[in-house]
This record gives sequence, C-alpha cells and structure tokens, in this order.
Amino acid sequence: MIAKVRRVVQVLFLLFFLFLFLIARYPYTGNVEADLFLRFSPLIPLFDFLQHFSISSIFWPGFLILALTPFLGRFFCGWICPLGTTIDAASKVLGSPSNRTSQRWEKLRYLKFAILTGTVILALFSVNVWGYLDPLSIFNRGLTVVLYPFATLLIDKTLLTAAQIPFLEDAAYFLHDPFKAFIMPETQAHHQGLFWILLFFGLILGLEKVSRRFWCRNLCPAGAWLGILSQFRMFERLVGEACPVCNKCQTECKMNAIPGGDVHHTNKVECIDCFNCGAVCPPKVKAITYRWRWKPYHTPVDYSRRQLIQTSAASVAALGLLNLGLTNRESGDRQVRPPGALPEDRFADKCIRCLECVRICKSNGACLQPDHIHSRFEELWLPVAVMREGYCEYNCNLCGQVCPTDAILPLSLAEKQRTPMGLAYFDKNICIPFAQNTDCIVCEEHCPTPDKAIKFEVREVVTRDGAKKHVKYPYVIKELCIGCGICETKCPLQGQAGIYVTTMNQKRAGATQVSEPASPYG
Amino acid sequence: MDRRDFLRTAGMSIAGSAMLSSLQESVFASPAPPHVAWVENGEPAQLLAAALKEFGGMQKFISRGDVVVVKPNMGWDRAPQYAANTNPDLVAALVRECLNAGAKTVKVFDRTCNNPLRCYANSQVEASAHDAGADVSHIRETRFVTKSVNGEIIKEWPIYRDYLEADKTINVPIAKHHSLCRVTLGLKNLMGVMGGNRGDIHNSFTQKIVDIDRAILPSLTIVDAYRILTANGPVGGNLAHVKTTRSLIMSPCTLSADYTALNLFGLSPDDVDVVQEAMKRGLQKYDLRSLNVKKVRLA
Repeated sequence: MIAKVRRVVQVLFLLFFLFLFLIARYPYTGNVEADLFLRFSPLIPLFDFLQHFSISSIFWPGFLILALTPFLGRFFCGWICPLGTTIDAASKVLGSPSNRTSQRWEKLRYLKFAILTGTVILALFSVNVWGYLDPLSIFNRGLTVVLYPFATLLIDKTLLTAAQIPFLEDAAYFLHDPFKAFIMPETQAHHQGLFWILLFFGLILGLEKVSRRFWCRNLCPAGAWLGILSQFRMFERLVGEACPVCNKCQTECKMNAIPGGDVHHTNKVECIDCFNCGAVCPPKVKAITYRWRWKPYHTPVDYSRRQLIQTSAASVAALGLLNLGLTNRESGDRQVRPPGALPEDRFADKCIRCLECVRICKSNGACLQPDHIHSRFEELWLPVAVMREGYCEYNCNLCGQVCPTDAILPLSLAEKQRTPMGLAYFDKNICIPFAQNTDCIVCEEHCPTPDKAIKFEVREVVTRDGAKKHVKYPYVIKELCIGCGICETKCPLQGQAGIYVTTMNQKRAGATQVSEPASPYG
Repeated sequence: MDRRDFLRTAGMSIAGSAMLSSLQESVFASPAPPHVAWVENGEPAQLLAAALKEFGGMQKFISRGDVVVVKPNMGWDRAPQYAANTNPDLVAALVRECLNAGAKTVKVFDRTCNNPLRCYANSQVEASAHDAGADVSHIRETRFVTKSVNGEIIKEWPIYRDYLEADKTINVPIAKHHSLCRVTLGLKNLMGVMGGNRGDIHNSFTQKIVDIDRAILPSLTIVDAYRILTANGPVGGNLAHVKTTRSLIMSPCTLSADYTALNLFGLSPDDVDVVQEAMKRGLQKYDLRSLNVKKVRLA
C-alpha cells in the first residue's frame, strides 16, 4: 500500500518538476517560482554554508529536507528526487539485474562519500565541482539540453512534416497549434555541448544495467550527505517473529540496503524509504512493519578512515592540478555572461550549472548556452552568451529571476537595460561596408538602445566605373552599447559576423564599479 | 401647338430634365475616387473610416467571401506608444471593416525581428486584432514558397504562402525613420512576408527590395501615421522621437501612398532612394506628378 502511495508521490513530484520547467519561459509572472524545486537540493544549503559561513533563507526547501532527514532517512531520494524517479523508470526499461548479481558492486558504496568529501574540500578552496553532481541540477540540465529539445523534435517536427502533406495539413495544424500555444511555444532548441551532457545523463540512466539505482547507491553526493544524516533515523523497519527469511525483501531492495545475511536489519545510510520490502513480504507472513522508535539503532557510514584520508589527499592533488593550467587572457574575451551575473570567480562558485537560465532564455533571445572549457575546468556548463546564434532580448530580464542560487542576481528591467554584458566590435576586414564599400548597417537597424549605440558616418567613395556614391560606415559608441549582441545575431554575413561582442566593458553584479553617469532614459 | 400640348410638353420636359439631372447625379455626380486619401486629426478608427469613405467604402476593395491578409508592422518588442509597430487600434478597426465588407477570414501576421511571442504581445496587435475577429497566427517557417520575381539582382525569394494565396492583401505600415532607407513605409513593410535571410537584402537594398516588391504589391496600402517615429528608427525606444500626427494615408498604389507619406517627414522623393528606384522601375499605378491626393481634415 505505502509503496503504491510512494510511487504516486514520485510521479507527482516529477510532474511538478516538469511543470516548473515548462513555466520557466516568456511570459513569466514569477507567481510560482520556476526555480523552487531546484532549491530543494539538500546539497545547496551545505555548500552555500561552506562558501559564506552563513545561512541563506532562500534555500528553505533544502533546509526542510535536511531537517526531516534525521527522522525519516533518505526519503528525498526515494520520494522526491526527479532524477531518482527517472532512474527507476530507466531500470524498468533496461531491466536491472537482481541484487544477488549486482552484489559485487556493493564495495563501491564508499565512492559517494569520497565524492562528497572531495567536493567539500574543493569547495573550501573555491572550486565548484558539486554543482555538476547535484541530482536536481543534473536532471534540469538533461531536460534543458536533451529531453525537451528532443521532445520538440519528435512532436513539432512530426506535425510540421505532416502539415506538408496536403490532405493532412489542417489536421496537423489542428494538433500543432494548441500544442504550440500551451506546451512548447519555443522553436526547436539547439544547444552546444549536447554530446557531453547527453553522455553524462545517459550514463547515469545506463548504469541501471549494472545495478538498480547505481547512481544513488554509489555516486550521488546528495545521497551521501543525506545518508550521513540518516545514521540514527527514527523511522525504522521492524521484522517480526513470523519472518521465514525468504530473502524476498533483500532481493527487491532498490538500494541493497538490507544486508544479505541479516534481513532483520536495515542499512539506514542506504535505505531510501521506498517501502518495497513491505510490499513484497508474502501476504501470509506480513512480518515487516514500520514504526517510530525514540531509541533508534545506529548504522555506520560505509566509509573508512583510510578511505577518507585517501580521498582527501586525492582532492588536494586534484585541486593543485586543476589550478596548474595556463589561464590565457585571450581565451576569455568572448565568454559573455548573462546580465546580473556575479564577478566570474564568485559566479563559478555559486552557479550549479542547472541551466535554468539557458532554458528560459530559449523562449526569448536564445543567446545563452552551456559553456565549454576554454582554459579553466570550471567554465564547463556555465551559461555563456553565444551571440551569433541568439541575442539578449532588450526587454527581457528573466535569467536572473529563475537562478536558484542567485549566481545571476535578479535585475529590474530598467537596471538590466543599463547593465552592459560586453561591448560590440566591428571586424572591418569582413564587415560589408568596410570590405565592399556597400551599404548594409543591419546592425544599426536592430540596435535597441533608445539612443543607438551603433552610429554611422557617410563617406563618399568612387565606384568601379568612376561614379561617386555615398556609403554608410558604422561604428560603436562604447558609452551606449550594452553588449546585447543583436548586431552579431543579425549580421547578414555567412559564418563569422562582421560585428561581435566581447567581455570588454562588462558590468558584473555586485562588483565594485567606477561610478557612471545615470542613463538619461531612466 | 395648343395650350394642352404646351403644358404636356412643358411638363414632360421639366420632368425629363428633372429625371435626367437625377440620373446625371447618380452616374456622373460622384467624382472619381482619389488616388490617395490623406486624413488628419482623428483617432485611428475615425481616420480609417474617413479614408475609406473617399474610396466608396471597403466594399470597393473587398468582395464577399474573400480571404484577406492584413500585414501590419509588429516586428519589434515595443509597446504602441513607441511608434515602432503599427497602431493596434487601427489594425482592429481595419479587421472589422474587412469583416463587415464580407471577408471570409482576415489573417494577420508578420515575420518579426525580435522574439515573435514578445512582439505579438507587446505591440498589442495580436490581442486587438484577435478581438476584432482576425485570425492572428505566428509565421510558420514551413509555409514559405519560393516565388520567382525575376528582378535585376534577385531572381527568386521565399514569400509567405498565406500572403500569396490571399484574395486581397492590405499592407499597413507605420511611418518611421530608418537609417538605411531614410524612412520605412509601405514598400519596406512588405519585408514582413519575406522569408530567407533578410539581412542579405540590405546591401544594394533599393534594387533588391524593389525587385521583390514588384511581384507582391498589395491590393491596398494604409500608412499608419497616428504616431510617427522621427529618429532612432526603426526600433525607436525613446518617446522624445515619437510625434503624434494623428493621420492616415491610404491608396491602392503602394508607391503613391509612400510618395505622399514623405510629406509627413518633410522629405522630397529625391531624398529617398527606395522611392526613386521604385519610380524608375514603374511601380506606380498613377502618374506621381499629377497625383490626385484627397486631403481630409476631421473636425
């Protein structure tokens, strides 16, 4: 019974996550915070504390989980985590081997504690690795870059292709239009770094072929953190006298949390409250019950002192190695971050790479993309503005509003419109007026600032046949340019644009600034 | 001739001349419609009604059962007061006029420059046209068909199918400043039904735009000059550049409408290359030097 309730709750939380994902788009009211679920991550309060040594109230959902865990155990993993639910579904599809077959992987359990330790040590030295491994972040990343675009491809493209067939046209549009209006208004999303994110996400699901909940058992740092808090959990499984030791509960346990030789005990650090054990206990026996105990027994964490020392040493070594690389100043000039992003180091510390900003950007200017590694590991999957493919919509400030950790601060629209993300430069070698003495100025046409940041001068040139003509040559006014990049997006050249945005003149949120004259346009 | 005959003849001739004069009134008394109607000093719907009256009503342009495309400018993510997009009240009034004249459906769309969802919403054209009974839809990239235009530079270009297949098309630009072509009016507004990489049109712009426009001229052009944008166009964004002129210019000939609308900006045709080029290439339906412009000033 309770296992059935758990299954329904799992599906409901997954649907809730998807709902919040879907509302993260234009028009966004913020009445329901689209990033609410992401802040349920139990890792965020821990690492936020390690970073600031203070407690931030915006992470109350995560604290709520942490507060309940000593009593209930890893209920988050079994009931709430959408990645866990997806992993369960993958397990059904792929057909995971039984616990007996996968027994030999049990020794890998310590890995998740090692990973947690490693990420904590790196975080203390201001290297954010935990964000990549946060289960909610992983799930949102998979949704943004892989699943949602793939769903668009399947549904949207199928219907639009059907609409090309004359007698199917009306029927296809009949299905397509409400779908477009309510579910998926964005055009097909294309994201860079798709391969690695797909691989990362696919691997976590694919590991179900090795054992059930492989990720949760052996790798997930959130699971490790919750497991540490569950050692004395008060809600216990009790096995009555009637138990004939049929071992059914042991083989059906998702987490292999019931020791092989001792079905009367539960490994509290591993158990995720799925209640499968009670469900599979034969109806005639029904030996398994659950109840509160004020004097709970203790399960030790599967992580020896030797392993702790080894992983700590390895983390320190990793820290050194990660910082050895050359940070070439040249490589950073195109890494334009969203308006409102904190200064780069603090930004990389706070950002959990959930790509919620990338998601909401797709419904607007569609410039944000997961970044590549240019010279530092931490650049991976930070949001970066790829202006050739999309630009920052002048009247949009949504990325900051949905950032779960405030790595991008929410700016008011007026503030955002005054906050330069970067500065546009002409490449006069290829820009059409300079290269060919012909009018173009598409960049100037699209420039959205109330006083255009791109202006032009008219010069007289002599044409091939000796006639004189006037050509408009564009240039950028630094004080007016906000680096929105629409000039780069709309440049009619093939391939590389004749104008591009660099990080010059960028204004990061919370950074010390030279005071600037107030905008005449409020 | 006796008295009786005289009276009869006199009576008949009086009656006849009376009949003749009434006949004359019905046949000859209504003057030929103007080439261009230029209405000032009114709200968008009044301006439209007054202009249509000069041409004898919308029925003169639209037949019962027609599929009509109304092509406003809603290319920018700007609210109406910034004068970057066609006035939503004008579009709504126009949709109603079309439907009242018997149009089967009135389709409204534009290929936008900013995000289409934002443009349709923020311009307020989507809501007002929809409320007026129009079929407002977003551009579907699959619905462009390659049209052969055989121009000087452009030989073929993708054009929106709904526009090509419509029985009647009404082009409703807003009069705006534009750096490249000085002003943007009816000829430029037709870019909203063009597919492909429109940035490519912007070098040798005048030739290319005329190349394509030649093949897709609308049935009617209505220049929205309720508010005009005098600088920083075509996006605008500064209310100081918006001039409220409360006017409207209507013509079955796009070039004649544009030609007349130059007056709003105090420009002469010599200042605007696109108009020059279009004249050279013969896009005008009427002789522009002796254009019959009916100017109406509403009370």
